[in-house]
Amino acid sequence: MRTLLRIAWRDLWRNRRRSLVNICAVGVGLFVVVFYGGLVHGIMSDAKNQLDNLGMGHVEVTAPGWRLRRNVSQSLENPAKLLASLRLPAGTQAGWRVATRALAASAHGSHGVVVHGVDPAVEPSLSAYAGDVRKGSRLATGDDRGVLLGDRFAETLHLDVGNKLRLMVQRADGEVGADLFRVRGVFHALSPTVGRGQVLITAAAAQRLAGLGDAGHQVVIQLDDAASASAVADSVRAQLGARPEVVTWADLMPALAAMEKMMGKLMTVVSLFVFLLVSLGIMNTMLMSVLERTREFGVMRAIGSRPRRVVALVLGEAFWIATLGVAAGLAAGLALTWLGSERPLMDFGKSMKSEAFEYAGSVMRTAFLTRFSPADGLRSAALVYVVTLLTALYPAWRVSRIAPAEALRAA
Amino acid sequence: MPVLEAVGVVKDYVDRGQVTTHALRGVDLAVEKGEFMAIAGPSGSGKSTLLNLLGALDLPTAGTIRVDGRDLASLGAPALADLRRDRIGFVFQAYNLIPVLSAMENAEYVLELRGVPAMERRRRVDELFARMGLAQLRDKRPPKMSGGQQQRVAVARAIACEPAVVLADEPTANLDQATGRSLVDLMHELNRERGVTFVFSTHDPMVLERAERVVRLVDGKVASDERRGAAAAQSA
Repeated sequence: MRTLLRIAWRDLWRNRRRSLVNICAVGVGLFVVVFYGGLVHGIMSDAKNQLDNLGMGHVEVTAPGWRLRRNVSQSLENPAKLLASLRLPAGTQAGWRVATRALAASAHGSHGVVVHGVDPAVEPSLSAYAGDVRKGSRLATGDDRGVLLGDRFAETLHLDVGNKLRLMVQRADGEVGADLFRVRGVFHALSPTVGRGQVLITAAAAQRLAGLGDAGHQVVIQLDDAASASAVADSVRAQLGARPEVVTWADLMPALAAMEKMMGKLMTVVSLFVFLLVSLGIMNTMLMSVLERTREFGVMRAIGSRPRRVVALVLGEAFWIATLGVAAGLAAGLALTWLGSERPLMDFGKSMKSEAFEYAGSVMRTAFLTRFSPADGLRSAALVYVVTLLTALYPAWRVSRIAPAEALRAA
Repeated sequence: MPVLEAVGVVKDYVDRGQVTTHALRGVDLAVEKGEFMAIAGPSGSGKSTLLNLLGALDLPTAGTIRVDGRDLASLGAPALADLRRDRIGFVFQAYNLIPVLSAMENAEYVLELRGVPAMERRRRVDELFARMGLAQLRDKRPPKMSGGQQQRVAVARAIACEPAVVLADEPTANLDQATGRSLVDLMHELNRERGVTFVFSTHDPMVLERAERVVRLVDGKVASDERRGAAAAQSA
């Protein structure tokens, strides 16, 4: 084996330019797949991680039907107790909310908004914007007169910290409820929809405003890894029984889930296409290379090498091509993917004049971060090895089939 | 029992499925152990074809080839490869060393195929190189050697594993007179000292005059089979 690899290694450098082209083809192919994979996974991870910028959870528990009609009376009884009874994975962030539509009025006009009644201590861990207060201060626990506004909404109604805001809602009993709040702070939301149309008050204030007693509308669960949402949802369903509705982000945003599937398929197609191109290139050059050396292989066969040793020798060359190509492609691919995970390599913020855009119901940053995953890179590298060796099988098989006498007659 | 035996051997080549060339038309030949034999004849007489068949590099269209009594027709490609590795050494007109291996590595190649351990390989090849005056070439690769040097290394490769017979196809054809003579001297010495059986095809008069047996082929048939000196006495 060592001799075979030694001969293969030396053979590789007999035509330096051709071998370098092959190695580069493998390296560039792997680099493209690793980097493209990191970019696609990065964008999708970012999209899923941005759910909290929309006030959504990876898993949500609601009253049956609430999700479709958002009727204030379709509530969960004592969501605080319900939440306390749940066994959730370590590292999970969870809280509950009152969520209802309202008409918000200031001295400068009125505007339809969504009111979230929240636990001020917990909400920043569920909604990124609740913690991103750019003016004034965060909502304090027990501050039942305070309200936080989205920055675009504040602009629309010319509101600032300290101003008064009147919220008018339909109560659970069908009557109209209204109350006056004072602006404590203005938050920045990545999602224009949230920034334009959402306000935060305490859960107690929201319950009183909507006449809900101790009821609420949403239990929101944010996970470390969105991929485990389905398993966690199953577990929560098993714990709560049939009545509350338990949904995952994929149910809440089917378009995002579909996009993830589509991206996965696109990734597969791109990978196959790249590997196909690489393998055609390698097959072409290896075929040329071994046919040029037909006589040499004939000599090896003549002096006692079995056909399979000739196959092994050609595969040995493919092994070196794959090894050098993989080393270069993987190193470059992982390095750039790591760099792209630390700071955006592609930032469309200036051209789009926004730090984020909404797509398929989700919000995405215009500066794309990649996902650095050595495991993904190693999987692609293994695939490159397989593809390269499989590609070399045909030239190897072909040259091993030539009769020694015929090979020796070759020019 | 002859080392090599051809019985009624016919070899036809069909060119592109149309024109049939009759390279050998019924050759009978037996090569005994220790012979130093030449197959002579003009170009196209079938010398190389016969060597290829005797060396298990090709199979006859009709007739039988036996190596050490084994009929080659009964063997598959791997078994033929093993037979060549274990029983036959080859020297080619164009030297045909493996260009990426040094002289030493070339000579060791067949020993390695046989599974001889590295230390033993090295010892045997060192000894052989010293005997053949090749010690200074051991680390050189073929492109850095002259034709004569390459052919001597090729002979070393052929005899390193002590085969039953060495088949040499026009070994001096690409060498100048002096180098060719020196190579034939070397082969003759190895024949006498080590009892290595040599069969070579040639039309070089210098080589033919050194051969102890000359088989002449004309149009694919044995035209004459002449034994000289010790071989003639032995035969008589």
